Amino acid sequence: MDNLFVALFEILSFGAIVVLVVLGLGIIASMMGIFNFAQGEFVLLGAYVTYIVHSAGLPVWLGMLAAPFVVGALGFFLERTIVRRFYAAPIVAMLGTYALGLIIREIVRGLIGGLYLSVPEPLGGSVTIGTMHFSTWRLVIILITALVMIGSYLLLARTTFGLRIRASLENPALARASGISTNAIYGATFAFGAALAGLAGALIVPVFSLFADLGLRFLIQGFVAVMVGGVGSFAGPVAGAGVIGTLAAALPWIIPPVIADVLVFVLAIIFIKFRPQGLISTKGV
Amino acid sequence: MTETTQTTPLSLSLRASRSRRLQMLPIIEIVVLVIGALLPLVLKDYLTVYATRVLILCLFALSFDLVWGYAGIMSFGQAVFFGTAGYGVALLARDLGVTSILLVLPAGLLIGLAFALLLGGFLLLGRHPSSVIFVSLGTLTGSYAADRVARGWYYLGGQNGIPSIPPMSLGSYDITEGPVYYYLTLGILVLVYLLCRFLVRSQFGLALAGLRENEQRIAFVGYQVQRLKAIIFSFAGAVAGLAGSLYAFHEGFVWPNMLGVVISTQVVLYVLFGGSGTLIGAVIGTVAIEAVSFWLSNSYQDIWPIILGVLLLLVILFRPAGLISLVLSERERVGNFGRPPGKGDHGSS
Repeated sequence: MDNLFVALFEILSFGAIVVLVVLGLGIIASMMGIFNFAQGEFVLLGAYVTYIVHSAGLPVWLGMLAAPFVVGALGFFLERTIVRRFYAAPIVAMLGTYALGLIIREIVRGLIGGLYLSVPEPLGGSVTIGTMHFSTWRLVIILITALVMIGSYLLLARTTFGLRIRASLENPALARASGISTNAIYGATFAFGAALAGLAGALIVPVFSLFADLGLRFLIQGFVAVMVGGVGSFAGPVAGAGVIGTLAAALPWIIPPVIADVLVFVLAIIFIKFRPQGLISTKGV
Repeated sequence: MTETTQTTPLSLSLRASRSRRLQMLPIIEIVVLVIGALLPLVLKDYLTVYATRVLILCLFALSFDLVWGYAGIMSFGQAVFFGTAGYGVALLARDLGVTSILLVLPAGLLIGLAFALLLGGFLLLGRHPSSVIFVSLGTLTGSYAADRVARGWYYLGGQNGIPSIPPMSLGSYDITEGPVYYYLTLGILVLVYLLCRFLVRSQFGLALAGLRENEQRIAFVGYQVQRLKAIIFSFAGAVAGLAGSLYAFHEGFVWPNMLGVVISTQVVLYVLFGGSGTLIGAVIGTVAIEAVSFWLSNSYQDIWPIILGVLLLLVILFRPAGLISLVLSERERVGNFGRPPGKGDHGSS
């Protein structure tokens, strides 16, 4: 019984991590219609910022706080200078952002080499309930993921900013005619997506350590999750991430990890093939 | 679509300039061939070995160019066919002792074809036409999955791959790396190149180029769009398989990276850099990148991938038609009937 709870907790916390990583990707894909292949590297940068702040002797949580802002700002800058030129076609955007990601990743690799650098958990230890121990940090990740999800949802569904994003998505020409600067909206959306990735990287670095391919590890998973959930809404990618994260965490308890890893993707691709609109096909939030 | 309304003198002058410029492509092809044929005579031995590897990669790049440059299918996992064929022939040599060139090369080709039929059939055929993004993700995932399987499967050697594959043989003669292997590869490359050239210039190739430019319109004219795509995808898979088996025997070992995302994207880079949609562009791109890579890898090993990324970015931003467009008119790309270069190119569907 205890084992079951521990397993469920593991699965939940891993699912939360995937949701966190995918959220920004899904928002960019849904709201802007482009697949950002540099998203994994934004996760990596978030982790790296946290590491730098920590190694400068400052508290880890400060680094985690700084990560989304630094990465968000970089995302904004990149969108304004480079990414906006890719909007002509989805494939161009994919290749272009892939190239950007490659550059960022290799720069980080140049800086840290092939090392696995560790960052401590700001809240270490574990919470004990009865005879079961739950890692405090993983509980925090679950909590923050929930908060970020609710916050992002409110931002997109309830604020004027969210309304403008959705209007720009639905009908850019009409949005522009109504006085919305779609260019600025795209910049802000991309920055927001990047900031979420930065936050994800910052929060997961104590769990996964920092290594150059950290972002790559989640990239394919992220895309598959977004496609499974359905592009075009906020709920789609979240649902997809939930399903993929749960499967990816749960299957290795039953079958060998390598087979589980591959099986998740194969099942996901088959699912997308027969239901291309994804789990949740409604547009909007 | 203003071409149809052009007045006679203008279209006449267009035609004149076309026939003058059409000379360019065959000249480039012949120059490249002559250089390729003479290279081992001037190169040192270890460079001939390196050049052979580059030729094999050219063959691989051709396969990607066929699917992307001609049919507009973004195969982000072309290495699956390259790698599975490599592993396949490595197993043939290791477990069954089969090394005869007359068996292993066709085997590699068939393995590539079979996997491409499976994956391509699944991704491209069916009731709903697949989106560009879905196909690219599907191939990427296929490549990632194959990489994971190879790393995790003890029979395939896990992380280390399969080392020390015996050399390919013809009768009792062992074909080892060096000039002989070089000319063998060159011969195969030229044959495949000519075959591809014939293919893309046929009615089939025109239909493919039409797919790349405007899928709906080609479907409207009455072509079975998905089937065309599946056919070229399988054909390209066979070419990649052939390249993979040549590569396995040339290097003497196979390892998981042969299947993975890295080499898959490398081939994208070759073709984009050289110029997609012209077969010779794929060859030139591969040679150019591998040459720079070789030159830089000793002294600047760490920043080389960054330079590659920057190159890719610059090509996408400023020269979507690749290096070849510096000397070749856009008109000479099959199916590009006088469109201005780089406008609305690729993936607009």
